[in-house]
Amino acid sequence: MTTNVATGAHTAIRASSIKVGLGQLAVSRDPADVLSALGLGSCIGLVITDTSAGVAGMVHVMLPDSDIATRPGPEGKYADTAVPSLIDAVCALGAHRSRLICAMAGGAQMFGAGSGAGLLNIGQRNAVAVRVALEAAGLRLRAAQTGGNSGRTLEVTVATGVITVRTVGGTPAPL
Amino acid sequence: MSEQGSAETAATVFDPYVLSEMHMDALREVGNIGAGTAASSLSTMTGQPVAMAVPRASLVPIEDVPNMIGAAEDVIAATYMGVVGNAPGHIMFVMPLDVAHSVCDLLLSGLPVGEPGPSGFCDMQLSALQEVGNILTGSYLRALADLTGLHLEPTPPALGVDMVAALLGAVMSEVSRTTELALMIETAFGDDASASVGQFIYVPEPGSVGTVLRGLGMHA
Repeated sequence: MTTNVATGAHTAIRASSIKVGLGQLAVSRDPADVLSALGLGSCIGLVITDTSAGVAGMVHVMLPDSDIATRPGPEGKYADTAVPSLIDAVCALGAHRSRLICAMAGGAQMFGAGSGAGLLNIGQRNAVAVRVALEAAGLRLRAAQTGGNSGRTLEVTVATGVITVRTVGGTPAPL
Repeated sequence: MSEQGSAETAATVFDPYVLSEMHMDALREVGNIGAGTAASSLSTMTGQPVAMAVPRASLVPIEDVPNMIGAAEDVIAATYMGVVGNAPGHIMFVMPLDVAHSVCDLLLSGLPVGEPGPSGFCDMQLSALQEVGNILTGSYLRALADLTGLHLEPTPPALGVDMVAALLGAVMSEVSRTTELALMIETAFGDDASASVGQFIYVPEPGSVGTVLRGLGMHA
């Protein structure tokens, strides 16, 4: 079963690659599913799995803090609200809080490599905000690949809980 | 919340999400003049004519913007310039990878090329692409300022060579601080209706749309 929480869409199609776009959140317990965030730049892709329950979820965070929101955005847009939403969503599919494994990638500075701080450097703040939100929820990151100046594609295979990251010209490497 | 409050206190506030066909025409003209000026600059630099497609103006959900520029993992060379002043906004110039290589070959012909970095370009080629991006986005901005009579200043332009989704996602995250809908003014270089050579993307902040339209002499 695949439940795209962001849209509420419900589908029984098998063997699918589910794209988790800007600000979106998706969870699945269909062993045929692969969740992926293609080309994370300053955004953070956070994966939470419970391999015993065969559940995986991913969120594509754009900004650190929902305080600036003047209207409700997509469920995964802000780190401070996206992280609790993802935890709730995987647990609603049968994951156990005590078994959750968390990993994240992204948070790069995509423009002006080496041109100093400030310019669109939201990536670093996104990474910090995700860490803080996980800590607040009592969860720890098992792995993280953040910062730098390269875009990353993040994938998680629901059946195995295997998480991979790849950059331009590279091959997927386990995170 | 606060938004409803401000709408009540100022009932005549311009809504950037309710644009007439005349408004859209005027915004397309911004794309036309801005990119037209930049096309002349590019033509001068490369010694080759640069054709320009008809500009498009559209209101697009932020999350759909990267898909409009290309496949998520396609590699592009993009220059980003922030606009500050009377009408804050964002300007990008995006080139497909093969065009970026051609531009480097044209501008650096005869010069020795260094070891390519992770982006596939050597430092000197990246500098050349950065310079092209500086000149083109700068031309666009000056044309926009002249056309509207607004005081507009650029932030230092910055280059990125990476996946479409990574570069556009970074800019759209900035845009999404103030809005869920982006007003995109796109102008393609190359054949009509294709972005075969490159593409300008101008996104005024929501609060700037009315300012730009008034600068163009429209009621907004």
